[in-house]
Amino acid sequence: MKNKKPVSIWNGLIYVVLSFWALTTIYPIFWIVMNSFKAKNEILANSFSLPLGDQFTLSNYKTAFERLNIFSAYRNSLIISCTVALVVVLLAGLASFALVRYRFRLKKFIYSLVIAGMMFPVFSTIIPVFRMLNVMHIANTSNLWMSLLSVALPQIAGNMSFAIVVLTGYIKSLPIELEEAAYLEGCSAYQIFFKVVVPLTKPSFATVAIFSFLWSYNDLFTQMFLLRLPEQRAITRLLNELTAMEGTNYGLMAAAVALVVIPVIIVYIILQKYIIKGMTAGAVKG
Amino acid sequence: MKKRVVCVLLAGAMVCSLLAGCGKKTGSDSTAGDDKTLSVTTTFAGEDGNAQNYKDAVAAFEKQEGVKINDSSATSDETFKARVETDFQAGSEPDVLFFFNGADANSFIEEGKVVSIDEIREEYPDYASNMNDDLIAPSLVDDKKYAVPVNGYWEGMFCNTEVLAAANVEVPGADYTWDQFLADCEKIKAAGYSPIAASLGEIPHYWWEYSIFNHTTPETHLEIPTSVDEGNGPAWVAGMEDIKALYEKGYFPENTLSAKDDETFALFTGGKAAFLIDGSWKVGGIAAACQSDAEDPSTLDKDKLDKFTVTYVPTNGERKATDLIGGLSMGYYISKKAWDDDAKRDAAVKFVEYMTTDDMVAKFAQHTASALKAAPEVDETQFNSLQVKAIDMMAGVTSLTGAAQDLFNGECRISTFDGMPQIVTGEVSAKDAVAEGLATYADQTAE
Amino acid sequence: MESSIYKKKRNLLVFLVPAFLFMAVFLYYPFLKNIWNSFQNISSLGAAGKGWNEPWYSNYVKMAGDKNLRTALFNTLIMMAVTIVGQVGIAVVLALMVDNIKRGGKFFRTVYFFPIVISATALGLMFNLIFLYDKGMVNQFLEMLGKTGLTDWKDSAHALIIMMIPVMWQYVGFYFVILITGLNNIPEDLYEVAAIDGATRWQRVRYITLPLLRNVICTCVVLAVTGALKVFDLPWVMFPKGMPLGKTWLTGTYMYYQAFNTKNVDYSSAIAVLIVVLGIVTSKIVNKVFKEAEY
Repeated sequence: MKNKKPVSIWNGLIYVVLSFWALTTIYPIFWIVMNSFKAKNEILANSFSLPLGDQFTLSNYKTAFERLNIFSAYRNSLIISCTVALVVVLLAGLASFALVRYRFRLKKFIYSLVIAGMMFPVFSTIIPVFRMLNVMHIANTSNLWMSLLSVALPQIAGNMSFAIVVLTGYIKSLPIELEEAAYLEGCSAYQIFFKVVVPLTKPSFATVAIFSFLWSYNDLFTQMFLLRLPEQRAITRLLNELTAMEGTNYGLMAAAVALVVIPVIIVYIILQKYIIKGMTAGAVKG
Repeated sequence: MKKRVVCVLLAGAMVCSLLAGCGKKTGSDSTAGDDKTLSVTTTFAGEDGNAQNYKDAVAAFEKQEGVKINDSSATSDETFKARVETDFQAGSEPDVLFFFNGADANSFIEEGKVVSIDEIREEYPDYASNMNDDLIAPSLVDDKKYAVPVNGYWEGMFCNTEVLAAANVEVPGADYTWDQFLADCEKIKAAGYSPIAASLGEIPHYWWEYSIFNHTTPETHLEIPTSVDEGNGPAWVAGMEDIKALYEKGYFPENTLSAKDDETFALFTGGKAAFLIDGSWKVGGIAAACQSDAEDPSTLDKDKLDKFTVTYVPTNGERKATDLIGGLSMGYYISKKAWDDDAKRDAAVKFVEYMTTDDMVAKFAQHTASALKAAPEVDETQFNSLQVKAIDMMAGVTSLTGAAQDLFNGECRISTFDGMPQIVTGEVSAKDAVAEGLATYADQTAE
Repeated sequence: MESSIYKKKRNLLVFLVPAFLFMAVFLYYPFLKNIWNSFQNISSLGAAGKGWNEPWYSNYVKMAGDKNLRTALFNTLIMMAVTIVGQVGIAVVLALMVDNIKRGGKFFRTVYFFPIVISATALGLMFNLIFLYDKGMVNQFLEMLGKTGLTDWKDSAHALIIMMIPVMWQYVGFYFVILITGLNNIPEDLYEVAAIDGATRWQRVRYITLPLLRNVICTCVVLAVTGALKVFDLPWVMFPKGMPLGKTWLTGTYMYYQAFNTKNVDYSSAIAVLIVVLGIVTSKIVNKVFKEAEY
């Protein structure tokens, strides 16, 4: 590398800016973890100091693990959110591909429907949804799997619009020549989708999966409505039960947030592997 | 990569269970499959002071009766209320419900989806026989009694005696008058403290209630006026004017309009404000603020807690200071669905009876009110100093009156609750704001 | 643009139907109920309607004269500008920077994601403590610098800015991840060719990256304006009920308030309809602007 001087000054500046933003994003996590080791009455008074000496306590985590069945809640959350992410990515991928590549009469109208789907507030749709699920005997049962499914179904629908909007944006940027080449080699539309489009936009699918997972995981309202019995509760719902109410216990809340956040960050880091530069170049040549 | 395999497996498992579920649908209602189960919904969950008592009681009942309780209790908030309401609408209501007995219960009572106490007594004459029927609140819909109460609530004035001492003010007692209160506030303010901890921007509810109560009497307080000039109308306006006067004198914290309730509560527990009007649940909140570990009562800083006390709210009119707002706002309902189901009727009645025995009610009620005819003696040694002070205060209460705001629900509250900042800053006159709320109320009740 | 591959419309159904079936059942049908509800009289969530409003469109008349809704729309308009410039703008800059560095890209990509995963309740509490009157981080810091007297950051004069900063900051990471994914979709060969031609770094960004990223940026702007219309949780935790003095209403918070606090569910449903309509209109405008732009 023949680094000229101005380039390294630029590089230095870039790192300064990036590091500054990184500080603002790391600090809140640090703040939460730090306060999760503090007793409640220390937080309002000394929320920005380190939990050292007398201030340090493990009681928040002890309470969370003793009082609640955290591991079964993690399992429930992972089942729901992985299902949502997978189904959303698959179905939204198919739909986006069609919306970008095909030309048909109702296309504009359908795109407006997609945007509209993104705007619906959960609480305005939950009640009819609950009634339907109730009639189908999926909601309000003591069957664990059915209850988890009852949360996953509306969440799949709820994340679909977002996924379609984002995936159409990515697929539009694909050069159509590759697909034409595949067509000339005799591929059908399905084969083109799975063998050309999906490999080329793998990072996009990973990104959409991450956010679908995240929103399903954090969607407290749907969980509140549909997961009733203690053994059905997903992690967000479970920890909310612990920390809601007056006389808010901030220490416990910080511990709860830390416990909720960890799996999401792990999932993100795992999926991030697919958002790496260079993969696309190989796919194009192949 | 492994993770993805796991996900696929999980999704596969879900599809299988979906199919299995479809096959099973031929049976009756899936929750009612076993006649030895009872579905129960209460608000004893989360940080509710009785959550643990409730869990223990349910476990003991399950053991004693061999009935499985499907407990879907949750913290009481707006989502919870909406859920209960939807359940009744969709016909998936619980067998036993512990819920509010005020306006929130109107819709399912109107539709006849719960069974009244009298109807139950025709078959189970001893049902709730240990309760004083006069203290059980009748439904707003048909004046019948449905809910068997357990623990009640009261609203009183908490004091931080450390601040009072620093300002050279005596702890108020049963004969405390409004003028004394104003004089004390002035002294406290001069000493550099906030006299009253309250967030008028977020939770003006307690001040709203007492300021109006100051100009009414326990007998008339619950009459919602038809206009600002009739009945309690002038009292309502006078109450709002009182709050405005206190605000103008600077007795509320400087940021009372922009601070949230937990901020002003922190002012009170942190020794920066002297008085706090709030509900009986704050006894636990103040104790928790004095514990180094909020979950563990053994870490209580007793000296710190001793600095707090609770007393009557000063009066500015006909009511005596010892007339408090309070009562029994919740109780156990048995749903019509469970009552008509021979397999469940007996279990549901037994469950409610088990949860409302004298001992159980005393355990749940602590220092709050109960409807028991003969309340068992409480052992004061198990209570902390603030709880003991609360019991003492309750011993001197001359009357408990329900909150007018429980009848004055929903949209009509906007102009005087959420509009409180506009009233105290003079943007809207108290009279106009009250008139607007009353007009909305008239519209609501006319429907 | 249309290629002969995509002439066979029969395939179209197979691609579209599964996704839209889900949405029809769990979104569109329930929302039709919501539109229906906006003409009914409903006094609490989950309750059945008590008949038609008098006149049936009265909620929509009420919206026209609602002062708080006007404040909410105005604030939301500002919020849209903030999200486009503050969220998408910053995210574009950060994404381009991360794309151009050799080391540490993975680190930045990971940590920029953090704010999105933390619940609004926790972030709201943190920001409340930062801006606490007596005495949060900012006021302590100013005192150290010799300022006397405390500033109430949440009073009418400051509230709007103090509400928007956290919202803006939280979602930069979201657009950042979407944009960085778009950058990774650009084939490396294009840059190699450009490098051989002797293009400078800036020229590569200007003539290769930005044009190829245009669709993704357009997506981000659509998400940003529609997001501004429904943003709710963080503002509500920090400034419930439009505090102070109704200065901080947003369409999202006002709709929630009508549904849960005043129990005016039918009016809230009408606001939901307004939000959906505004979302469709603004996204159409965004798409138009991006289509006509030169590149």
